[in-house]
Amino acid sequence: MKLVLSTSNILTGTSSVIRRPTFEKSNTELTSSLRANFTAHQSSPSTPQNGALINGASSAPSTPNTPAKPSFRSWTTQQDSTLYIPTHTPSPLTEPREYYDITVKLFYLPNIPATRRCIETREAIDLVLRELGTTSIDLLIVSFPGISFDADDEDSDIDEPTTPGLDTSTANSDGCGDAEVVPEDIDTMLTTWRTLETLHAEGIVSNLGIAEFGVQRLSKFLPQTKVKPSVDQINVRDCCVVPKPLILYAKQQGIQLLTHNDCTNVLPRGTLREILGSGEKGVGVLASESAGDGLKGDVEPQWVVKYTAVVKDRGVVESKGYFAVAELRD
Amino acid sequence: MGLLAIGTPLEWPEAKKVAGHVRSWGIEQLLAIWRNARGKERDALLWGDEVEYLVVAYDDEHRKVRLSLRQADILAALASDEKLLSQGGGVPDVERGPVHENQTTAPVFHPEFGRFMLEATPGKPWGIGFKDLLDVEPNMKWRRKIAKEHMASEEYPITLTTFPRLGSPDCTVPSYEVAGPKLRSHYVPDEIANPHIRFPTLAANIRSRRGRKVEINVPVFKDEKTQWPWKDPTVNYDLHRWPEDDDVRNGAAKANFIYMDAMAFGMGSCCLQITFQAKNIEEGRKMYDQLSPLGPILLALTAATPVYKGFLADTDVRWNQIGNAVDDRTPEELGEKPLKNDRWRLPKSRYASNSTYISQDSRLRPEYLDPNLIVDEDLKKRLVEGGMDDLLATHFAHLFIRDPIVVFAEDLEELDLTKADHFENLQSTNWQHMRFKPPPPGSDTGWRVEFRPMEIQITDFENAAFSIFIVLITRAILSYDLNFYIPITKVSENMETAHIRDAVSTQKFHFRKNPFSSRPVPASQRSTNASGTATPQDETTTNNHASTPSRPGTPLGPVDDEYELMTVNDIINGQPDGGFPGLIPLVENYLNSMNVDVETRCDLARYLDLIRKRADGTLWTAAKWIRHFVQTHDKYAKDSVVGEDITFDLVKAAERITKEEGRDGFGVEMLGRRR
Repeated sequence: MKLVLSTSNILTGTSSVIRRPTFEKSNTELTSSLRANFTAHQSSPSTPQNGALINGASSAPSTPNTPAKPSFRSWTTQQDSTLYIPTHTPSPLTEPREYYDITVKLFYLPNIPATRRCIETREAIDLVLRELGTTSIDLLIVSFPGISFDADDEDSDIDEPTTPGLDTSTANSDGCGDAEVVPEDIDTMLTTWRTLETLHAEGIVSNLGIAEFGVQRLSKFLPQTKVKPSVDQINVRDCCVVPKPLILYAKQQGIQLLTHNDCTNVLPRGTLREILGSGEKGVGVLASESAGDGLKGDVEPQWVVKYTAVVKDRGVVESKGYFAVAELRD
Repeated sequence: MGLLAIGTPLEWPEAKKVAGHVRSWGIEQLLAIWRNARGKERDALLWGDEVEYLVVAYDDEHRKVRLSLRQADILAALASDEKLLSQGGGVPDVERGPVHENQTTAPVFHPEFGRFMLEATPGKPWGIGFKDLLDVEPNMKWRRKIAKEHMASEEYPITLTTFPRLGSPDCTVPSYEVAGPKLRSHYVPDEIANPHIRFPTLAANIRSRRGRKVEINVPVFKDEKTQWPWKDPTVNYDLHRWPEDDDVRNGAAKANFIYMDAMAFGMGSCCLQITFQAKNIEEGRKMYDQLSPLGPILLALTAATPVYKGFLADTDVRWNQIGNAVDDRTPEELGEKPLKNDRWRLPKSRYASNSTYISQDSRLRPEYLDPNLIVDEDLKKRLVEGGMDDLLATHFAHLFIRDPIVVFAEDLEELDLTKADHFENLQSTNWQHMRFKPPPPGSDTGWRVEFRPMEIQITDFENAAFSIFIVLITRAILSYDLNFYIPITKVSENMETAHIRDAVSTQKFHFRKNPFSSRPVPASQRSTNASGTATPQDETTTNNHASTPSRPGTPLGPVDDEYELMTVNDIINGQPDGGFPGLIPLVENYLNSMNVDVETRCDLARYLDLIRKRADGTLWTAAKWIRHFVQTHDKYAKDSVVGEDITFDLVKAAERITKEEGRDGFGVEMLGRRR
């Protein structure tokens, strides 16, 4: 079964979205806004509000085996073999399309075969377009698994496999565990890129972007692209220490270096299992050994997409949210 | 200062007689504007900053610094500079060049109340493009450079809020006699004010209406050798030229307070003001309300005014001094005499913190409003009859409790509904810490909100930092639909707290604990709000939201539980225990949602870092720095006196910091290590 998780518009009503310290990249925004959206749907419309929402996930009921936890069937929707968690209604943008700048970032997750990406990308774009009630996006950034930019090391993007476990310092410092994944080779990325180029040719996406590419990777990647990326996203933590060569190279190639604060591995399997599980911090979509109401099987995150719609000449973010798709197998 | 109409101004008793006339015409003009512009939609964010300078003149040989009264000459030089005009700059009231649409436009300069002052603004408004934000600081530096280029070699445009020795003997050049007919001040000459007829009339009519001179008493700072109780040694009890000379004999000067007696002591202060254009009236009203509780916090954080009339004060900011300097209330209005001729007692000066909230926001609880608000009920009735909603009508009917001070005889002949002169007469002489500005008739400008509490900072780097911070805060407010509401009377209380010496590190302020809505707003409702044109239908809808919560069974808790006392650091950087998230983290989070390039983000980080460190005490406010400079000066006798030597060195120090911005190690306590 396919699971489609959504956050709805995270700009309204969830303080868990705002966190500290600010220069720490993390996936808290995704996980806590998922939890908050689940809680909101669990408690509506019939269940009275319990106040837990005010603090989002952090003040979720702490008593184990809360009897009040409603069956997931009441707040999710199954269509054929897809389960929408929670039941999802799109919230289209309010102003005409040309007033917005829509940016979408697609996270390909580790250990998922790259061959699926063509379908995945289409699916992700589709969900976002339907959510926002539009037919095109301005910028699509893709994040390949295992890449992490290190400003102190100009050679950091050489495709040398990082031995898992050795580089734990990076993993610990940013709370993402990105370093445990081996980056894929340029050819695999280029295969994925062809899909994006097609979307560009179809006019669905105006500009393409990549994340965490250093000079080395860029110089191998660019000559083989038909549509050049116009954006390379760098972690905000490093924005003041971006190596000069990268700044110069990007300028020369007409690539904008933008900041972000996302994890590359934005939704690890364990995290997803915990959110959906029947444990204390879970919402009871997945069954545990003791409690039998939920679905059974092994859950595997496939990809995550983040979308942001900004009213251009006012600098106001009107809509921001995530979709995450996972496979549930027996 | 705006709107420099020319004509024959009425002296006070005459102006008083036509006050009702001006008010009712002003209300009609407001209604005309409101009817025309209420449906204005989708205006871009445009914003502007205003920087005010003191023009000082050095006498290096005698180690003296005075205020230069050459404002008119400097403006004339600016208005006739062909190069400046060709770049679009100049003096709008006299001559300026054309605005360049797609390229840089040179800054423009304006006269101010004080003849020793100069105001400069960007030649065209800023947008929200991040590149625009990075242009602010260079533009401010450019303004100062141009200003300096049109001054004499011994003059310099300095951004101190007040001249430390304003009102001391020999503090201006040229020098004039004090106790002139207009101001009747014992300390400053009539020539201290801009000679444009509007300004002396303003000062004289405020004094006449009040029935005595304005009275500004600032607590003196008690140092080791300050005599106690302290009596202001400059008070002259033996002057008998004007009836107002009796003021001091009637106890106007108080023990332990520095006494001042003229509008120039307040309106001669320099501030940093930011004006935003909202997308529509609804968004403007929301920004007005949400920025209002931030006012006192930013006042404390920008504190820069520890010296008055040559003495160290025990307060750090200018605000109340300006309030007192333009306080035209009569003894009856002040509550000193029983009401007989006047209509009501007025708790605040016309220069004071806000007293109203105006947004049709379901989160605005009636408990936040001031139950004792003074309103002109007749004018309010007229506004409501004219179709204005109750909240906004209340706001303007509150501003219109005042008398117009400067009335030109020529303007009373015919009511012109295509103008705003009578409306502006009242609106622009209500100096509250926020101002809600309707579109000027016949212009393309939208609804605007002005944020007015901040003190000017010594360097352009700091002034840019605070300007940009406020812009980013408004974007975060609108993006996250933040809620900073607390009872408006608590905002006023905070404004008083902000005056306390080193309030930024020692005081706590009432602030809302949770700025987020308590549950996600359903998409349908949010979109209504987001595009909310101010049509009557929408107003009904919004009002319905307010009176009947969309989800019954979720009663709101007591208002007093919604806020608590917080330090400025809590409010700016966040509470450590996961309570209030902090304005800087909110801004960072907003930036993380935007496509910002690395260099811009890095530059913005410098600005946010300054504000973060001012709030947590790592860096000093200008008030603290100036106080420290005075107290460690060789010539300081620990007796609260800031003499000519100290003032000379202090102003020179401020100029050095303006130029070096701490790069030479001087002033790093305030600015930190700069690149």
